[in-house]
Amino acid sequence: MAVGCVPQRVATPLADAEVAQKIRATLVSAASASGSTREAAASTGTGWGTLKGRFLFVGVSGAVRPLAVDKDTEVCSKGGMKLVDRSLLVDPATKGLANVVVFARKASRVKNASPSTTPVVFDQKQCEFLTPVLAARVGQPIDVHNSDPIGHNTNIAGSSFNQLVPSGQGTVYKPESETGMPTAVTCNIHPWMKAYAVFRKDGYVAVSGVDGTFTLADLPAGEIIELQVWHERSNGPNGALGLEKPDLKWTPKGRFQIQLQPDEVKDIGTLDVPASVIGT
Amino acid sequence: MQLANCLTEIGRQASRLAFLLLCTLVLASVIGCGATPPAYFRPNMVESTKQRLNPEQERQVATVLLAMFGTPDHPVALAETGLNEAKLHLAAGPVRSDIVGRKNGLYREHCAHCHGITGDGLGPTAAFLNPYPRDYRPGVFKFKSTERADKPTQADLVRILHNGIAGTSMPSFALLSETKIEALAEYVKYLTIRGETELTLIRAFFELDDDAKGTLPETREFLVEETLTPIAAKWQAAPAAAIPVPPIPANIDLVASIAKGRELFYGDKANCVKCHGVTGLGDGQANDYDDWNKVIVEADKEIRSGTEQASQASTAGMSPEQLADHRLQLVWLEKFHQVLDGDALTPRTIPPRNLRQGIYRGGRRPLDLYYRIYAGINGAPMPAAKGTVPPEDIWHIVNYVRSLPYEFDGELGADRPMVAPNRF
Repeated sequence: MAVGCVPQRVATPLADAEVAQKIRATLVSAASASGSTREAAASTGTGWGTLKGRFLFVGVSGAVRPLAVDKDTEVCSKGGMKLVDRSLLVDPATKGLANVVVFARKASRVKNASPSTTPVVFDQKQCEFLTPVLAARVGQPIDVHNSDPIGHNTNIAGSSFNQLVPSGQGTVYKPESETGMPTAVTCNIHPWMKAYAVFRKDGYVAVSGVDGTFTLADLPAGEIIELQVWHERSNGPNGALGLEKPDLKWTPKGRFQIQLQPDEVKDIGTLDVPASVIGT
Repeated sequence: MQLANCLTEIGRQASRLAFLLLCTLVLASVIGCGATPPAYFRPNMVESTKQRLNPEQERQVATVLLAMFGTPDHPVALAETGLNEAKLHLAAGPVRSDIVGRKNGLYREHCAHCHGITGDGLGPTAAFLNPYPRDYRPGVFKFKSTERADKPTQADLVRILHNGIAGTSMPSFALLSETKIEALAEYVKYLTIRGETELTLIRAFFELDDDAKGTLPETREFLVEETLTPIAAKWQAAPAAAIPVPPIPANIDLVASIAKGRELFYGDKANCVKCHGVTGLGDGQANDYDDWNKVIVEADKEIRSGTEQASQASTAGMSPEQLADHRLQLVWLEKFHQVLDGDALTPRTIPPRNLRQGIYRGGRRPLDLYYRIYAGINGAPMPAAKGTVPPEDIWHIVNYVRSLPYEFDGELGADRPMVAPNRF
């Protein structure tokens, strides 16, 4: 039989025709009253609480990798400055892991019903995005700015926003839908430039700082909130950060659960991120 | 003498016959002489392997898709998709004639060899083409009259079928009747909606709560109202998202417009030369990817980094649980590697367009160039000038671009010949 002429494709499971018939029957039947199968998430509490924590990196973070800057070098390599890969930022003093994103998967109520109208500034200078992870609320204006003497374009993957941003100017972008996990932001004129953006409807997103600490304020109290954790270099599915923390019910999909009392400031302490969960 | 010649001639014929017989036998043993198996939709293996679906989950996705969309021979269009099932039946199925001599199976006759039965751009000829044929499944189309984020209109799809895409292997189907072109456009929409639904379903496994069994709900609410309807709604909203095009300024002085356009082309508002090059030959950049190839490049990176880490991990100090995880990881890496081998084409960078050739893929009307500059090109690195360059200035850039193949400007690099090299 045929040998070596056709690429060997992996075997795929066949669809179950009988089950498909049954499913089609339910889909084609008249629409059931929408919302009948799902009860609205009952909000069970009042008041708001705050969540705090700190991510520490355990292990060897490896050498810092320089980026290949081969264009507009009079601006991008000005004064001999070398741009480096920022995917794994570990503070040498405190071992804090920066740019870990923590967001609420579902919250029954939000403190401020509508997003703030003050624009979040997302700037770029010396051919680098100044904010490695941009967190914003759906509907909140973002001032995509360019403080370089040369032009850039800002391309937010998955949002089909890819616009020229001339030197010294900015353009306002309002995300219309929430991202699942954070999505990449790049410049096509200078392809080494990279950042991430995460937009959530309820706005409950926090990004860990240089020392690894994060704060999520005004979370609804009195209900179990499931939080998703993400890091750019994590080995987990879609970048989810799965840690060993059974007391918080931390899952391999990078999720953990907390419940807050009104006006409580809950500090979940230090969360060790071992080098084994971080990819190369 | 003559007899000897005659015998040599017979000998030569006989050996030729024997050779032909040998070839037929070899071919028959290689290809086989059975009936062609029925066409089937191939699952999106790259995405389902990336999302680490197990075989039961892959099977569930295939079953749900069979329920919602049918097979390549018997397509099904639920009312929510807004598709015309009669047109789909004209385009679907094997190539055959009906009782009045109308040709059916249009998609398989004209499109499947490049775009694939599943519309995944993995047809038998795809690997030999540059650029690769379009993979419809992400639902992204490059050449259209709507805003960047929106779907193409019916007229956009018909235009591409009618004109083909200059500079690529996509031919013109102007010789087909309007009914047939519309049937093909409808079938392309069907394959696209099916592909987008498949991607959403595959990604939905990650969104499941951790205590769910690892299967998707097979309810009308989840499948139709939450998954299918938003996808179909974007197609129905396409005509409302048409790019607003102001009329070309009256009494336009073409020479002045071209000069203004040149200024903008080289300026730092539009930044055209940064990618298209100071020569306009498209040599400003060579290392970016379009969205379809980027997926494969990133998958490749993931496999490489995973393999490196797995090979560095020492199995000595591992608990049985960790060892099991490690083995699963190795199996997954091997599967992903095989999937990239058989279900994906070798990724290629996307070079910026060589504007000196006068070949414009999305159409060469000034209006088409306006659309490309205003909204950029969805799926490609080309950014949108909307909001940065005012509409009259976009017309000036359009005029300059159209003059590029004829520009004889000694100032523009007198040391470079003004001959456009033959490149893509």
